[in-house]
Amino acid sequence: MALNLTRRKFLQTASLAAATAAMSGCFANRATASTPFVKKPFTAPGSFADTTTAVGGVCEMCFWRCQLVGKVRDGKLVKLEGNPKSIDNGVSICARGNGGVKLLYDPDRLKFPMKNVGKRGAPEWKRISWDEALDECATKLKAVIDKYGPHGIAIFPHGSSAKYPMTFFEHVIGTPNNSEASFFQCRGIRDMAYVATLDTAPDENVDMANAKVIFLLGTHLGENIHVSHVKRYLKGLENGAKLVVVDPRFSASAAKAHTWVKIKPGTDTAFLLAMMNHLIKTGKYNKAYVEANGAGFDKFKAGISHATLDWAAKICDIPARQIKEVAELLAANAPNVSIHPGRHVSWYGNDFQRQRSLACLTGLLGAIGVKGGFVKGKGPKVGKSGWPKVNVEHAEAHALHLMAKKHQFSPPGTPTDMIRETAVSGKPYAIKGYVGWGQNPIQTIPDQALTIKMLQQMDFVMVCDVMPTDITMYADILLPESSYLERYDMIKTGTQWDLSGKQEQYITARMPLVSPTAADHERKDSVWIVNELAKRMGYGQHIPVQSELEMTNKILAGANLSVEQLVKEGGIHVQPGVDPYGAVLKVNFFSQEVADAGFPGVPTYIPVPEPPKGFARLVYGRAPVHTFNRSMNNAWLMNEMPENPVWLNDESAKKMGLKDGDRIELVNQDGVKSETSSVVKVTPGIRKDTIYMAHGYGTKNPAMTVGVGKGIDDQSLITAKAVDPETGAHGMRNNFVKFVKNGKVLSIPA
Amino acid sequence: MIIDLEKCVGCHACSIACRAEWEVPTGKDSAQRERRRNWVDRLGPSKTPQGLASTYYPGLCNHCDNPPCVDICPADKVEVTFTDAKTGATKKMEVAATWKDPFNGTVQIDKERCLGCGVCADVCPYSARYVNEDEGDPKADKCTFCVERVAVGLEPACVQTCLARARIFGDLSDPNSEVAKYVKKGAAKLESAKVKIGPNVRYYGNKKDMHLLTTTSTPKTMPQANLRRTIMAQMLKPAMDQAKSLGMLGLAGAVIVKGLSEDEKE
Repeated sequence: MALNLTRRKFLQTASLAAATAAMSGCFANRATASTPFVKKPFTAPGSFADTTTAVGGVCEMCFWRCQLVGKVRDGKLVKLEGNPKSIDNGVSICARGNGGVKLLYDPDRLKFPMKNVGKRGAPEWKRISWDEALDECATKLKAVIDKYGPHGIAIFPHGSSAKYPMTFFEHVIGTPNNSEASFFQCRGIRDMAYVATLDTAPDENVDMANAKVIFLLGTHLGENIHVSHVKRYLKGLENGAKLVVVDPRFSASAAKAHTWVKIKPGTDTAFLLAMMNHLIKTGKYNKAYVEANGAGFDKFKAGISHATLDWAAKICDIPARQIKEVAELLAANAPNVSIHPGRHVSWYGNDFQRQRSLACLTGLLGAIGVKGGFVKGKGPKVGKSGWPKVNVEHAEAHALHLMAKKHQFSPPGTPTDMIRETAVSGKPYAIKGYVGWGQNPIQTIPDQALTIKMLQQMDFVMVCDVMPTDITMYADILLPESSYLERYDMIKTGTQWDLSGKQEQYITARMPLVSPTAADHERKDSVWIVNELAKRMGYGQHIPVQSELEMTNKILAGANLSVEQLVKEGGIHVQPGVDPYGAVLKVNFFSQEVADAGFPGVPTYIPVPEPPKGFARLVYGRAPVHTFNRSMNNAWLMNEMPENPVWLNDESAKKMGLKDGDRIELVNQDGVKSETSSVVKVTPGIRKDTIYMAHGYGTKNPAMTVGVGKGIDDQSLITAKAVDPETGAHGMRNNFVKFVKNGKVLSIPA
Repeated sequence: MIIDLEKCVGCHACSIACRAEWEVPTGKDSAQRERRRNWVDRLGPSKTPQGLASTYYPGLCNHCDNPPCVDICPADKVEVTFTDAKTGATKKMEVAATWKDPFNGTVQIDKERCLGCGVCADVCPYSARYVNEDEGDPKADKCTFCVERVAVGLEPACVQTCLARARIFGDLSDPNSEVAKYVKKGAAKLESAKVKIGPNVRYYGNKKDMHLLTTTSTPKTMPQANLRRTIMAQMLKPAMDQAKSLGMLGLAGAVIVKGLSEDEKE
């Protein structure tokens, strides 16, 4: 800020002042009379002033779905807040929830149906009418079905509005090729491993609020924010729970932990096995629970007996003493311990075994159905609505993993990698139609080049979304969807956030907080779009509902509720609940089912590839202000964290000559260089063999004017894919990077 | 206000809720100040004498006991009658366009009389002020402690949205208040040898987090007002007074600020 008041500027300013003074002198008498012309300075009135409160909002800035109210002034949403009636998030919402206003009014949002008259990946858009767009989608998709069969279509859905199209394609058209990112690149492995072990999918159901110890493996609460989940965690800590965080990085959770286990990435299963072996050998496990409810315990005990503290210490690069301490801390506080199942667990391609180990540890401690343990809240019942299962037999007969007798523990749908490989190879059949709905596979699935190859060989690519994410550049027809603040589309149910609190249940429905009608766009909701498509494709007779409102009311009717009634009740219906404690689950320590499928029936540590010399392992995670790539164009959220600093160990940085804040690029083991740059974050809070960055940055689509080119796209560097053999889900942490500064490649010292 | 770093998870909800509530623009003003009323800096992980630490600096206006921003305001003083919301007592004071309320202790800005010169923002050691030039009529802006919301029985926007309940808003002069209890427990001000102006936001946390916070985020010096802006504000005043009566306030302010921003590019 130079103090260079130049002569020119001084004169300019002075003359303005003089001129103004002279003028006002001339008209001094009239000035009083012209007071109404005085411009009032801008003063924001506040969201409470002259606004009405719209109820029934359910957030979808992420997928936790907090309950909202909207403050609306002159038909415009000015602010989102937590619904005071909520027994889940209450009046609180996170940064992203608050930022929803900016998504709603983002000028870059998709507005009209568009036809790509350029190339896939280098689009030129021509605005077309809905009739033209739907006719073309119907004709092209029908042509694929006629030529290749229903299984010639693959659908890539994400989010609640994608459920209606997803089930249309699965149930009515009859394609098995459904790749849900939330399963195959996120939590599917966890759910399937827990089903194999405890016969139930865990979600994130640990009663942290009432735990004596909270055990997090990679979970970085604080950077990963889901409001009621974090409330449980914080209440537990406030009540004196000990926090153990296992992470190669000093995460937001590690910063609050009593014990940080600075584990070598990829070795978590060895750590878990050694803890369990130690507890069994020293008799410190919950014998009563295991005897009453354990299956295959002897085989399990024998199968993990090699896993000594010293064995694991060497593998995990942590002191044997620390493994023992953590194991004994858990045992001393069992059964009131939260062994967190994690959420995004698609890490290394050996993840099913790790997730089985976590479920076994939970069982070994008897931490099931008790305060602080693995406890599932008992939510209310509602009705159903959806497409009839017209052609599911065709889908099942053409499911790639069933045909190949692989990935027997696949979550619902078909493993993404099989869909992509099949599309590219044409074997065992052709996949020539792509339907994307709210998912951005470019920044979701490893090996972008292969994903693009899959897209390029399609006969037809149709994408429906709210924002012009990178996948939209590959669409032939691009459809604009109304946002979660402008539509009905899902029912959210649950219980009070603290399971030990007053037992209550809630039912709410997503309702529009503002009208989607506006002069400058033609956005539509998914029920309307899919119904119009179904009619044109000749499936009109199967349409289950005529509108999203009808769908919502139909589901609510199952609980004797309606949208009208919910509005009367402030957007949320609350009713007495059921005590969630006391459940007893059988624990398959050894799983015959897993063994019969040809996988280790006793949880087993499978080593992962080591970093080549000069490289460190690339690990990614969440930023509290972003939901993957979805929020990268949000002007408020992006302002909080405009790029994703790349974490590098301070001693390594010194040897490499890198300073905190240096601008760098990354290059991976396959020679793939990041197309954009970011800054280095030099810190002692990360292992030397690990590089960390927040996921989702590095948007390539210039139509995302806020997000484009900001930070580095971690997914672009994840070219070596791993596939978890049991589930077919991806592992994404077997990639290794070096730094590039001013064009010079910098090796990372060991 | 107390910010409990033991609870804070660094989610930035406070910052965004404030932006929504008060329509705070993003980016920087023409003097390169962050346009914000409320912010979260992510600190660490760094070594501290008590071990590795990582925490947050959730910042906002400190509504200081001796606010330099108030003293420096070049706007002509006018007599204002203040009323105590609790007792109804009144007090008359001569104030410029920004002042410290004698009863509730908050520092406020009169947007109608603000010259938009930005010297108040220059002298704030906490960088809690910026100039909002968005509406073509530059005005200093900052956290008001949401007195407008509090007056109608609401919590400040940042306090309401905080999922951790890490922000505690209350009356420090009431010894039974939760904020007073935090002060007794050792909630600290971000003050240094040269910056002792009585900030009223205090931070509570464990030793290592507090070490990290205070070593990274305590201002070390009192910044000086930008001389050029001070001169211009003095020059602008007579013109403003005249222009005001002509309805040209916005125009004059905008031209001056435009001149300043062009200057800074040179």
